[in-house]
Order: sequence, then structure tokens, then C-alpha cells
Amino acid sequence: MGSSFDNWDRTIPGSLPMHDLQRLARAAALEQIRGPGAPQRHLLLEDTVVVGRSEGQIRIASGELSRSHMRMERQGPEWVCTDLDSSNGIYLNGVRIHSAVLREGDMLQLGDVILVFHAGG
Amino acid sequence: MALFVKFWGTRGSIPTPGPATSRYGGNTACVEIRVDDSLFICDGGTGLRELGLDLMKRARGRPIVGHLLFSHPHWDHIQGFPFFSPIYQPANTFHIYGFARGDQRIFRLLSGQMRSDYFPVDFSELSATIHHAELPTGQGPIDGVYVRAMPQLHPGGSWAFSFEAQGKKVVYATDHELDLHLDDREKSMRDPAAPRVLPGSLVDFVAGADLLIADGQYTDEEYKTKVGWGHPRATTVVDLAVAAGVKQLAITHHDPMQTDVDVEKKIAACRVRAAARAPEMVVFAAREGVELKLA
Repeated sequence: MGSSFDNWDRTIPGSLPMHDLQRLARAAALEQIRGPGAPQRHLLLEDTVVVGRSEGQIRIASGELSRSHMRMERQGPEWVCTDLDSSNGIYLNGVRIHSAVLREGDMLQLGDVILVFHAGG
Repeated sequence: MALFVKFWGTRGSIPTPGPATSRYGGNTACVEIRVDDSLFICDGGTGLRELGLDLMKRARGRPIVGHLLFSHPHWDHIQGFPFFSPIYQPANTFHIYGFARGDQRIFRLLSGQMRSDYFPVDFSELSATIHHAELPTGQGPIDGVYVRAMPQLHPGGSWAFSFEAQGKKVVYATDHELDLHLDDREKSMRDPAAPRVLPGSLVDFVAGADLLIADGQYTDEEYKTKVGWGHPRATTVVDLAVAAGVKQLAITHHDPMQTDVDVEKKIAACRVRAAARAPEMVVFAAREGVELKLA
């Protein structure tokens, strides 16, 4: 059969380690609702994640993003976003900020990209 | 030159931790202003504790020097001081300001709250060097920044501070019952939509601020039963900011009874009011953990 069946056994939940599933299910995320590639969900699986046009773990191909635009950093149970001296800045719920401790549902605008922060479990 | 402002405590009267206030925060008044290497701290409410922890982390063992300006000594503005960890480190130096010649009131009250009746560590045991400092005329340069203090209407008195450096201006003005300045306060409460005219001296103090951080504790409705309590309607602050040509207005000192949803409704009303007369002005609720850069 075609390649779609090559890894079919990986769809059986029991074949994946439970802690990996839980880690994915509980991960904080940036839900991209506008901008190139939207809609899509970017999971925050490392303690420090850089978002940018061409650098970092989350790359969004928008000309309005700087190469490295924003850093997401886990500090204890919280996530902090910081502007990496980008050209178009970060707007948190409509207000331009340098950095912020994020809360569930916060909307981040980076140029023409809009991301909604989800804190995870 | 880089000027940063960070909110560490935006609540008034009493800390209000809990899920209903988690977005805007429950710590009481504390704002950090950094101009290059110069550190200014406005008020030492409970937010001062976390600021202290962050300063120690950022300093990485290097001495910390800071200028502490207290608007007034009500509990919600000084209760974080004993928990400000940098004051326990001998390498650090802090200057606590009075704004008239010989004015040591704040210094005395801060040290007074650290006596055994109230707190297990005595002020005399603090390891950092802590100076009483003065701006005897109410204004002057501090560490490369021009600082002015203005007296405000609040039970027992309070001060507003402005900070100017290299063309940027930040004003911190909490605990000021602006509405008591209105000639026609009763009329403005019957007709809240009408513009409110504030004294020229207040407008001048705030004029052209890149950021005004101001007490906006009450909604129009709440203020009806709070006249004389020392805090204004948030909408009156908007009118001051509009008259002064402020670029960004951060409403702070949120009432302890206001949940995050209530704060958002209060700010929405402020934005509607500002939009009619100053559509370019950015109005927002001061929120714990948010840092602005005034480039």
C-alpha cells in the first residue's frame, strides 16, 4: 500500500510512551490565528523558544517579523515573552511592550502575525 | 539611552492574590524605572518583594545601587520593604528620598515598621547601606535623571514624581484624588460624560509625558460612595492625560474589589472617553509583570 500506511502502528496510542503524550497535551502553546501559515499551533516544548522570520525554533515566513523577533522563556510555572529588538515590536493585547509575564488567552501581535498564548496544563 | 518601566505591583489598598486577579495582579504598588544603569523604585508595596528577587538575580553578585521614592507611607506603599532582599546584602546601597529640606518622615516610618512589635528583623540589622536623601526644593538631578516631586491630594498627603532623561518623560502619580480639584465636581458626577477641567499646575506637571502611570482606582459608579477616600475616578485621569498631551496612560492602583474583568470594563470606559478627544493616546491597565521600553 502507499506510504500513508508505513507508520500506521504509530497511531495506536498504546505504542507511545504515556509521558510523551502527556507532555504534548499539557504543553504551553502559541496559537497562530493570523499571518502566513495560520491557523497553526506552535507548542512550547523547550524552556526557551525564539520566534522569528528565519531564526529560532518557531519560524514564521512573514516579512513583518524580524529574523529573531521574540523570545519565550519559561520561568517557573510562567512564561515570559521578550522583544529581541525587533523592528515591529510586540503588542500585548494592543499595547506595545518590551517584556511581559503571559496569561491564558493573551494576544501577541508581531507585525502581521497574531498569536494567542495558551498556558497549558 | 534606554528607559525601561516595569510594573511589579498595580493593586491598591491591600494585596489581592487569587485567580480572579491573576491577570492584572494582586501585589500592591511598586514600579521600577531604569535609565541605562540608574535604578529608581517608586513605592514599596508587596510588589517590591519580587522586584528584589529579580534585582538579585540580574545583579549576579554585583553591588546594587537604587533610589527609592515613596509616594506616601500608607501600608500598601511600604509593606514590601522588609521583604526587599537586596537590603540584607552589605554590597548594596539605597537612597530613600524626602522632598523638602529636613523631611525624614518616610525614612522614619520605614525604619519604624521594622521594630520587634511589628517585624522580627530590626531596621538596624539591615546590611545594605541605606541613606536618607533629599530633594530639598522638590526637584533636581539624581543619577543623570531630572526628578520632580509634586504634592497631591490624599489623606495625609502624597507625592507624584516625574522622571526626565534625554527627551523622555515618565510620570508616576498614584494616590491622588484628582476629583477634589474639580470646581464642578458635583455637576461632573451628575453628568459624567462632560469634560472635566483640572488645574493648570497638574496639567503642566504631566505635560507631554511619554508615559503617565496614574491612580485610577474607581469607576464613575464606585466613586459616588468614595468621595474623600483619596482616589479618583479613572475617567478623570483620562481627562488630565488628554489635557496634558500624554502619549501613553497606564491606569494603576486597581481597587481590591475589582476582578480582572472589572478592571477591563473600567479601562474600556476610559478608552471610549479618550478616543473622542485624543484618539492617538494609548490607554491601558497597568499589569504586573509587564515591562515597557521608551526608546
